This record gives sequence, C-alpha cells and structure tokens, in this order.
Amino acid sequence: MEAILQAFGSALQLNVILMMILGAVVGIVFGAIPGLTYSMGIILVLPLTFNLDPLAAITLLLGVYVGGMTGGSVSAIILGIPGTPSAAATCLDGHRLAKEGKAGKALGTAVLSATIGGLISVVILVVVAPIIAKFALKFGPAEIFALVFFGFSAIAGISSGKVIKGLISGMIGLLVMTMGMDPVMGVKRYTFGSINLLGGVDVLSFMIGMFAIPQIVEAFATDESGIKRKLDTNVSMAFPTIKEIKALSGTILKSALIGVGIGAIPGTGGPIAAFLGYDQAKRKACSDEPSLECVAGPEAAHNGVTGGALIPMLTLGIPGDPATAILLGALLIHGLKPGPLLFQENSGFVYGIYATLFIINILVFSIQSFGIRFFVKVLDFKKSYLYTTIMVLCVIGAYSSHNNMFDVFTMFAAGLIGFFMQKYGFPVAPTILALVLGPTMEDSFRRALILSQGNFMTFISSPISIVFYAFTVFVLLSQVRRKKKTKKA
Amino acid sequence: MKSTTKKIIALLLVIAAVAAPLAAQAKKYPTKAVEVTCLFGPGSAADLIARKFSDLAQGYLGQPLPVVNRTGGGQAIGYNYVKNQRPDGYNIIWTSNGIFTAYYQGNIDFKHEAFTHIAQVSYEPVSIAVKADAPWKTINEFMDYIKANPGKVRIGNSGAGTFTHLTAAAIENETGSRVVHVPFGKGLAFASLLGGQIEATIQLPSEVEGQYKAKQVRILAVTGADRVESMPDVPTLKESGYPLELILWRGLAVPKGTPADIVQTLVETTKKVVESQAFKDFAKTVAIVPSFKTGAEFQAFLDQDDKTNAVLMKQTGTSNR
Repeated sequence: MEAILQAFGSALQLNVILMMILGAVVGIVFGAIPGLTYSMGIILVLPLTFNLDPLAAITLLLGVYVGGMTGGSVSAIILGIPGTPSAAATCLDGHRLAKEGKAGKALGTAVLSATIGGLISVVILVVVAPIIAKFALKFGPAEIFALVFFGFSAIAGISSGKVIKGLISGMIGLLVMTMGMDPVMGVKRYTFGSINLLGGVDVLSFMIGMFAIPQIVEAFATDESGIKRKLDTNVSMAFPTIKEIKALSGTILKSALIGVGIGAIPGTGGPIAAFLGYDQAKRKACSDEPSLECVAGPEAAHNGVTGGALIPMLTLGIPGDPATAILLGALLIHGLKPGPLLFQENSGFVYGIYATLFIINILVFSIQSFGIRFFVKVLDFKKSYLYTTIMVLCVIGAYSSHNNMFDVFTMFAAGLIGFFMQKYGFPVAPTILALVLGPTMEDSFRRALILSQGNFMTFISSPISIVFYAFTVFVLLSQVRRKKKTKKA
Repeated sequence: MKSTTKKIIALLLVIAAVAAPLAAQAKKYPTKAVEVTCLFGPGSAADLIARKFSDLAQGYLGQPLPVVNRTGGGQAIGYNYVKNQRPDGYNIIWTSNGIFTAYYQGNIDFKHEAFTHIAQVSYEPVSIAVKADAPWKTINEFMDYIKANPGKVRIGNSGAGTFTHLTAAAIENETGSRVVHVPFGKGLAFASLLGGQIEATIQLPSEVEGQYKAKQVRILAVTGADRVESMPDVPTLKESGYPLELILWRGLAVPKGTPADIVQTLVETTKKVVESQAFKDFAKTVAIVPSFKTGAEFQAFLDQDDKTNAVLMKQTGTSNR
C-alpha cells in the first residue's frame, strides 16, 4: 500500500503531470490526423526526453502512446479514415454510425471503451505481469503463426456479408504485402528493379490511400449545393447510457483481455488485437447493421495492448510492439535497462510507471470527452475545404512515414485500387487486415520451419497452436451457421 | 547621360547578382541544417547513437543536425538517397558494416567507394548469449557441443547477412561444424532464447546487458579485442583460444565529391564529439566504445572489412555477387 501511495506521489509531481498532459495531447492529435501515427509522435518528443528525469521522460512517451492509440478513433468515426492502422477496425461500424447521425454516440462509446480497456490492461500489468510474461514466452514462431492464422478468420466477419469478395480483398492485401524483400532471406519479389519497391509497400500509406482517396473522390463528385446536410452536427457529447454500458460490458472486458494477451506476445501488436476485438463483437451482435458493440470491441482491444505490450518490456526487456521498442530505446538512454533487474533495483520507478499509466488513461479520457464537441464540429466545414485539408494531411502523413516521396505515390495508387474496389462492392477492410497480418504470418511461418529444419509437424505439435486452429474452425463454422439462418429467415 | 546612368545601374545590378551568392559562399559552412540519414528505425541502437551524436555536434557546428530515418529495402533506400544528393556537406549518412551487407546482397550497386568517409565514431563487439540454465558454462564447451552435434544447434541473429549472422558464421568456421542460422527481427531472438526455441543468440551487448545482470542469460564470450566494460567477467573469443575479432563499427560519410574544406570541418567536429566527456558517458549507457578513426587509417580498415564481409557472405549464401 505504501509503495502504491509513494508511486502516485512521484507520479503527481508537477513536472510529471505536465509531461502527461503534453504527451496525451500530442498523442491524441497525432492519432487523430490521418497519416500521422503515435509512433511518429513518440519520435517527435524523443529528443525532449533527453533532458528530463527518467520518470518524466517515460511519462511523456507513454502519454503519446496511450493518447495516440485512442486518438485514431476520432478520424475513423467522423471521417471514415482511420488515423492509425489500429483504428481501421473501429472505422468499419463507427463511420456507418456517424453517417446515421450517431457520430457523438459512437465517439463516446469509443473513448469510454478505450479507457476501460486501457485501465484493465494497467491492472493486469500491475497484478500478474510476471506470470503473463512467462506464458507469452511459450509463443514461438509456430504458435504466433497459429494465432495470426486465427486472425485471418476475422475476414469473414469484416466483409460485411460478402465473404467471397472479402476473401478476394484479403488476397489482394497478401499479394501487395509480398512486394519488396522477403523478411527472412532478403530475396527480391516484384521489385521490377526499383530500389523504392525493394522496401516493400508501406502499410500505413497504403491504408490511408485506400480509405481516404475514395472518400475524397466521392466528396468532390457529389454536388452538395442543393442537398440538406443529413449529418447531425449538434451532437456534442453522448456517452452511452448506463443500460447500454451494461450491454457493452461483456464485449469490452473480453476485448480488453484479447488486447492484453496480444500485446504481451512479442512480435504482434495493436491492429491484430483490434481486428480480433471487432470480430468477436460482431459475432455477438449477430447482425450486419452497425452497432456500438463493434465500436467498443476494437477500441477496448487495441487500447488493452498498451498495458499488455509493457508486460514483456518491463519484465523481460523485450518490446511487445513497435511503439514499446522505441520506449525501450528511450529508457536505455536514461541508463535504465528494462528487465527483471529494473524491478529489483528500481522498483520505485516501475511503480511510478504503473501510476502514471493509470493517470494517463484517465487524463486521455477527460481530454477526449472534452474534445468530442470540437471534433464533431469538423463536419460543419464545407466539404470542399474539409477534404482538401484531409488530402494535404494524407500526403504529409504518407511522406513522413519513411521520409520518402515514393510512399506518397503508393498512397495514391492504393487510393485508385480502393476506389475501384469500393465501386464494385469489395470491402477494403480485409485488404488492410491481410497487409497487417501478412508479414507476421510469413515471418513466423518461415522461422518456424527453419527452427524445425523443414518439419511441418512443428505447426501442430504444441497445444497452444491446436487451440488457435480450433478457434479458427469454430469461428468459420459459426459464420456458416449464421449465413444459413439468415437465408432461412 | 540617361543611358550612362542606366548602364551604371545595370552594371551594379549585375555585380550585386554575382556577388550575392559569392557573399553567401564566403560564409562558413554550415549555413543551414545538416541532415543525418539514419538507416534504422527510431529507438534502434543506430538511431539512438546518431541522435546523441547530432545533439552534441550541434554545439560545435552551430547548426542543427536533424536525424532522418530512411529505413527499408535492406538499407538500400537510405544509402541510395544520400549518394544521389548534392555533395555540399548538407547530407550525411550514418553508416556501418551494413553497407557491405547491402552491397553483397545486391540491394545497392556501390560500396564504400561511393562515399567520402568522414570518420569512425564508435564500435561495439557482439556477445554470444545462452540461457542461464544452459549446460554450457564456457564458450569452449559450447564450441565442442557444436562440433559434436553438426546441424543441431540453432543460433539466432538479427537478419540474413547482417553482422550478427556473419559473426555466427565465423564462429561456425572455428568449429568446422555446421549450425542452423535463424534470422529474427528486433528483440524477438531474445524471446525465443528464453522460450527455449533456440540454443543461443548473437546480439549487441546493449541488448542483453539487462538480462545478463539479472542472470537470465549467460554470456559465453564477446567478439572484440577487449572485454566489455559492463561485463568484466566475460572473456573475449581470443582469450578463449579462437583467433577471431569481429566488431560492428559506426561512422559518418558524405557523397563523393564533397569539397575538402567541408570534409575537414566535419572531421574536426566528429573528433571533438567523440572525444567529449558527454559522448563517453553516453557510450557507457548504451555499451558502445567511442573510437575515432579517419583518413587513410579508416580507409584501410574499410577495405579490410570489405574483404572479410565478402568471404563470410559468400559462405552463408547471403551474397548475390
């Protein structure tokens, strides 16, 4: 108890609080703007941390991390353009709800679920981190492959009822992902002698293009002068009612746990968790209509990743996702070596991290819920202004992901593909899912085979893998059954 | 009269036009920010050292040196970008042994000759780590085990053709036996080591120091000429009877054709930074060894390293040349 009080004491120092606020605001802004991600936010504030004391430094970075994770939902819901890959799943139902005039409610649900997911992950981090870390180590390449394989079963759920077209979209994603050097031996695939293609297709730029460009084209192609605006822009803040929260609580809890689990497994991350969270919410909702449940699911899941990813980082010194890899580097600069030693020698610091993480989640919640009324006002702008601005932001975002103009061209190319896919009724979400999961799947598949020296039995030799394959079969069967039911009805 | 006035004005204008850039040139380099291209992502060892370096160099150069991460394509994108920039000293590449990896893999068509090398900044050996409860107490026992079990021992590295992979290959040569090389992404090799999926991993000291101090891993040897300061009880390969010395160097280079005086300014600045107390302190926290090398000495070292890499990459089958 004393340790906890002490931790909150150190977390509530003025400089630490200031860093929390700064971090959270930077994170939310970076997350909300399509193309700018929390990873970029973290990079931006990294030099600032050099001259701070360790707790203030890590607080600033954690603030950006948590703020950015939740900030992505804003543009996903309001504009239909996910701010980060993790928000792609939120975009699916969230934006449809916004089109029905429920933008405020969808945002409220997103913010609330994200915060609950984040808080649950912090609690798990504090209470059972070492146990989870030990379990996460059981995930070798073969097990990660099984997990990702299961992730692909979500395609059925995110195809909005068009499973065949969804599968084709997924294949497009996998095809695009194979471009560039292969992750294991560095063999060049579909590079056409171009050095830029050697680097492969940047997932972020591709995703922005697929979601944003068709929206922009549509906005400029429709004459809105005579049309009365359907969107209800008066919504300021609308949290779900107690009754709705009760109905959502199961989904939120389950998704948060998924998020923590995925976060704790090194080599995975937010987007996978978000899609799995969406998928299980969709199965529960059991309808093609957009629902708050399907906003709550992915949001709770990917924010659950924040605490989850810190589990292997703090206990073992292994980053759980790309953002924690940067955090790890930042700690190193301050002479702190994350790992079991940190607990022994600097337990006060670790508790301090827990405390700040807890406060950051609440802080982000307050800033977001205060901000919703302004976010929704974005829709008041004349479309021509709004979408021109978005276009500029997308170009900046694509460029800054690798400081390479080629990524901007990638974005436009992806936009063209996305435009025609949407025009002919192909859902784009499976493409994004495949782009995000594909590299991990290939990587773990091939590494598993290297480890087993070519023996395919490695994929079914562990109970963990078998459980995931069983999940996959279960999900697919339940989809088939649902399809039959709807046909009869 | 009128036309004379006009002529004088015209003449003055011409002089002004010609003199303006001259005056600008007369101002000492650098007059604007100098971009440092880093080939690895934020938070990576290369990135952290580059950022610290540029932070300190700003104090001597008087201009900021923003670090820009140009990753991807097995470093090809970044190397290619800087090579094609104007040789005016405003684009620096943060380079390493990686340039040979990129060349022999066939990602780029040029080697170190395409750049004018400013200086070496630091080097670091790598460490051979096994799990704390592994049966091998010394590197000799481990080597004997590899010898007795050809093709059984799995050693993790940070990617095909990278320095850690080549180190494993060099060790393999010492045993005369074969090991299984397993390429991993950042941080993942370590998870697999603790998870028991591989027998050993070859990593930078900074990446394993924490786990080493916490006694999760045992470090059998380091590959440099000297022991690593933060791991005083870990022997070098040479001490253990293997005549190997492998280090990962980091340094700065600019496109070929950069004026000599600008190169000289950068050499002097680099020397000041590397020898500064601030950089030495920082080096300790990230377990690198500050080491300044320039001119003919650095060039000879690069040529030698080129040859070593060529041989090892051919052996590991990662060379496409």
